[in-house]
Amino acid sequence: MKIHRYRTPAEVPTASMADIAFLLIIFFMLTAVYSSTRGLEFAFPKDDPNQRNVQPQEAIHVKITGDGQYLVDRTPMTIQQMAGYVDQKMKQAPDKPVIVHALPDVPYYSMIDVFDVMRQLKVKNVSVPTQSEIERWRFFGYLE
Amino acid sequence: MKIHRENRIAAVVPTASMADIAFLLIIFFMLTTSFSPVKTSVDLPESVERAEVEQNSAIVAITTLNEIVFSDGDNPGFNVDSPEALAPHIQSLVRAIPNKQFVIKADRAVRYSSVDAVLDQLRRNGAKNIGLLTEQKRPGK
Repeated sequence: MKIHRYRTPAEVPTASMADIAFLLIIFFMLTAVYSSTRGLEFAFPKDDPNQRNVQPQEAIHVKITGDGQYLVDRTPMTIQQMAGYVDQKMKQAPDKPVIVHALPDVPYYSMIDVFDVMRQLKVKNVSVPTQSEIERWRFFGYLE
Repeated sequence: MKIHRENRIAAVVPTASMADIAFLLIIFFMLTTSFSPVKTSVDLPESVERAEVEQNSAIVAITTLNEIVFSDGDNPGFNVDSPEALAPHIQSLVRAIPNKQFVIKADRAVRYSSVDAVLDQLRRNGAKNIGLLTEQKRPGK
């Protein structure tokens, strides 16, 4: 007598594959540190011999005295007014340097706000002097 | 006459491609996840203009508690006591790669003097390429 065998078809169980995969997705999504990899390009003024003679008086002097308080060439301005003022000056003299001078107690974002405005206006020559340099300039009488 | 329908197709949700889609997504997430060597969480300032920071750039993180965390970009970050203590690390990096980028990852509420001290050290020690990490500023904010 011939025995009739039921043959189960050979199959790889792939039903749970999707579950495993989605689990991994969730894991990667949750562990992915939201790391910001973009920011402002910050260049120190280059030591260019041709620009050594630039007089600080010619530069636009932006002094950040507090949160949202700016003295632009000794005139108090809002950030919009400053943008307009700098833009106008840039049209007259595109190479005009801008000195961003933040007082030590000012929050960092105020300085970033100003720096961002300068970047948006495509100001080529932005200089952010450090405190020790400002002291040196003061010593030589360049800055009030 | 009753019509006898033979081949009834069983109702099945086609899940065979599900795994493929899922694995594709996994690969996407794995590739887009950038592992930052400095895990210090800071509330970054916002700016409209933003440029991509170079890969493997050195990172100086400054928190509101004035903690300074430094990483050369390849190794995990470590705490530094004062901005002055950054000097030897900056010097050795600049000596190896003169155009090495240094990224400042400072909290938005940090006093500017802390950032200033770090910038001063970077400048004194010959770092030329500096970036300030920011978040995207949404319009109308």
